[in-house]
Amino acid sequence: MSVASPASSAARLLADLAAVVGPEGLIHHHDELIVYECDGYVIEKSVPDVVVFPTTTEQVARVVRLCNQHDVPFVPRGAGTSLAGGTLAVGGGVMICLTRMDKIVEINLPDRTAVVEPGLVNVRLTRALAGTGFHYAPDPSSQGACTIGGNVATNSGGPHTLKYGVTVNHVLGVELVLPDGSIVEVGGKVEDPPGYDLIGLVVGNEGTFGIVTKITVGLTRDPESGRTLLGVFDSVDAATQTVSDIIANGIVPAALEMLDTLMIQAVEQAFRFGFPTDAGAVLIIEVDGLEAGMDEQAEAIRKLVLKNGGTVPKAIPWRTRKEPDYVAIWKSRKSAFGAIGRLSPSYCTQDGVVPRTKLPHILREITRIGAKYQIRIGNVFHAGDGNIHPILLFDERDEEEVARVILASHEILEECVNCGGSVTGEHGIGVEKISFMPKLFGPDDLSAMVAIRSAFNPEGRCSPEKMIPGGGGCLERRSPGRHASA
Amino acid sequence: MNWPNPPAEHHAIADGRHAHAIDRPGSPEDLASTLAQRVAEGLAIYPRGGGTAMHVGGPPARPGVLVESNRMTRIIDYPAADMTISVEAGITMKALQATLAREGQFLPLDTPESGQATLGGVYATNTWGPRRFGYGRPRDHIIGIRFAKADGTLVKGGGRVVKNVAGYDFPKLLTGSLGTLGVICEITLKVRPKAEDSALVVAAFTSLDALGNTLGALNTSATRPVAIDVLNAPAARHVLAEMAPSSPWVLVLGFEEAKATVSWQVDHIGRELGGADVRVVRGDEAGPVWSALTDFQSTGPGVVKLRVALPPSLLITLLGRIDPADWQVQAHAGTGTLHMQTNAGREMDQTAADLQRLRIACAKGGGHVIVASCPTEAKGPLKVWGDPRPDWALGARVKAALDPAGAMNPGRFFDTMGT
Repeated sequence: MSVASPASSAARLLADLAAVVGPEGLIHHHDELIVYECDGYVIEKSVPDVVVFPTTTEQVARVVRLCNQHDVPFVPRGAGTSLAGGTLAVGGGVMICLTRMDKIVEINLPDRTAVVEPGLVNVRLTRALAGTGFHYAPDPSSQGACTIGGNVATNSGGPHTLKYGVTVNHVLGVELVLPDGSIVEVGGKVEDPPGYDLIGLVVGNEGTFGIVTKITVGLTRDPESGRTLLGVFDSVDAATQTVSDIIANGIVPAALEMLDTLMIQAVEQAFRFGFPTDAGAVLIIEVDGLEAGMDEQAEAIRKLVLKNGGTVPKAIPWRTRKEPDYVAIWKSRKSAFGAIGRLSPSYCTQDGVVPRTKLPHILREITRIGAKYQIRIGNVFHAGDGNIHPILLFDERDEEEVARVILASHEILEECVNCGGSVTGEHGIGVEKISFMPKLFGPDDLSAMVAIRSAFNPEGRCSPEKMIPGGGGCLERRSPGRHASA
Repeated sequence: MNWPNPPAEHHAIADGRHAHAIDRPGSPEDLASTLAQRVAEGLAIYPRGGGTAMHVGGPPARPGVLVESNRMTRIIDYPAADMTISVEAGITMKALQATLAREGQFLPLDTPESGQATLGGVYATNTWGPRRFGYGRPRDHIIGIRFAKADGTLVKGGGRVVKNVAGYDFPKLLTGSLGTLGVICEITLKVRPKAEDSALVVAAFTSLDALGNTLGALNTSATRPVAIDVLNAPAARHVLAEMAPSSPWVLVLGFEEAKATVSWQVDHIGRELGGADVRVVRGDEAGPVWSALTDFQSTGPGVVKLRVALPPSLLITLLGRIDPADWQVQAHAGTGTLHMQTNAGREMDQTAADLQRLRIACAKGGGHVIVASCPTEAKGPLKVWGDPRPDWALGARVKAALDPAGAMNPGRFFDTMGT
């Protein structure tokens, strides 16, 4: 047997892959591949050698087996909305793009489950369920683009996780192509199958366990009604104090979102919802449930807003999530990141978490850090969860400013850790935050995580250099991420 | 090393097997070093909390020690306004709930024998009760964990904030792992405000068809019960005592919310239930009934106790195949889960045949049956954990990753019981 040259071995890989997915099912020209050099985290870039678009589980498994035979790394990708570089093709290799596996396989209302393929865009399931009285609860702000497979990989949240939980609380089972190319059903169609809760592990694995090719999710009943209140405050302090008061008063809102002045102005310019642009902060406070008792809850919240010196210029009563005022306020919130473009050429969104009562503290710290590094920082985030998204504005042509943005980001995240929080509530570790893992976890914790990864992915060929430090050089950040949605 | 002769009753592990010693470490660090030392001596580790669920799983496979958590009961941190709490795993559920109640909060996990059962034990065994439908499973409330591995290291996962995706989700992996991956030392939980009011609506049904129609309608009911329990006649007599209607089926709906919301629902469900014979217990009166519904799984005459799961839409068909002369049944209809136990006098070979039929019926919908309790000699034949599942091989690899020596609770879980 003769030793093949690198060129001919690449050609053989291409030919083998084409035999599996067909010539229409892959791209390999550099100008086409450039789209796949990064995801929503645009700083680290790495062009895959080839991107394949399988349409069946069997194709995914055959592609994975070819990657093993050819000894090349591979990485799954959905819509590429990840904000932490989770789909970066570190070391090149084969990117397995699941967007052509986008079917809703089954909707079973009596048992409140649905089976979907991983490339299904999140909002398509929402639309398919409209009018049935049921919905799929996780609703990331990027739900118009992100895929449910990607949601499973990163354990995505969204504004309504406060009451309804994140992706892991709604996934019952998956079909998983392991890094050796074998196919295994993990979990099932009912809860608590005998054995370990591997679904609990698989959701949020950031692609390090293999490739999810089918997902069984649980559905949630629509609330009968709700109230969405706009609370307006002179200061961020007054708004965060109100968040603490609402939670401490035993109210479990469906959503509790905050925007500060900078974000209010950006959103108002873009959407003209009617946010007061001179306010220090606004809160979008949503409660839902039975109509009976709903007014009392809304009134209790209004009193807490007033107690902290705020006002409630809008209170939207709703029966479905399609009413125009309701749609408008959530469009403003979910599109907030898109509105930033009006303020700054570039921006970097961070994703930190603090205990809810530490929100006033962390927001004061963000202001201090912004002043220290002379960086404008806006805030739009899931206040009820303590999940902050400071947005650092900068011009990426200004290298010196970029360096200050990185320092400021790190200082904010370190303060989150100091407060007993975390460096990611929903965007994941990816490649971006891998250097923070040793600050959150000790050596014994990390070696247990490495052991778990090796149980699924012994050769580390699937999604190398992601999430858990070890097994390769540490990735140093050179400049911050830019785009975001949360 | 051999099994010791029974030195004293409190050395009993389970299934007639006894421990060489009982270790009661006072801190996670003590616990970790105890594990390393005992494993170095060639002993297996059998973790025990309150000892209320030691019957769960296969017989202990090889000689070892009991490691108890009952000296580890500290409240580590309770920032009530954040609605989270970090505690050591040896705290009893009753003590934990009492601590939370002082702040008007609670952990929505129903626990039988809560004065004895520990938080760590509840999590290791994945124990739950009727409120699961409304509030979720144990895994839905845990946000952080610290556990000791057999090699003497302490590992943490998750954290103390309610939303966190940094690192693999050890809190969920350890939930329901029956002490086979490590001993849980500390747990951080999301807690909830205690509901202002509570009511249970008890309705009698003479036919399974009528019950089935009602359960179907509950899927779109204007009310939102947090518990939907169905009891067959012998289970109803056991749970509800003199309150039990003399009908073959009893539906119990639980509501917990603000007073006005509970009132509206009780009123409304009465109308939705139409002709059914309905009785309501409310507020303080409801407390003992909730407890009785929770305790069914650990009380009663059953020599064999089962935990069953299937898609809710198959429930009525299944119930139609279960003879009330032989089995007491509590179906948590909202989630398609059941607690069942044999009536007194049921022969083991008949039970085994019933179990086989149940398993076939459940498997049709992707469900399963776990034998939660049975005599030692029946554990092998009845296959406590059921037939092998597609992800068990992967589970065994996870086990090997965290307990390569196989020291933790050998023989008890699916991975070491053999099938």
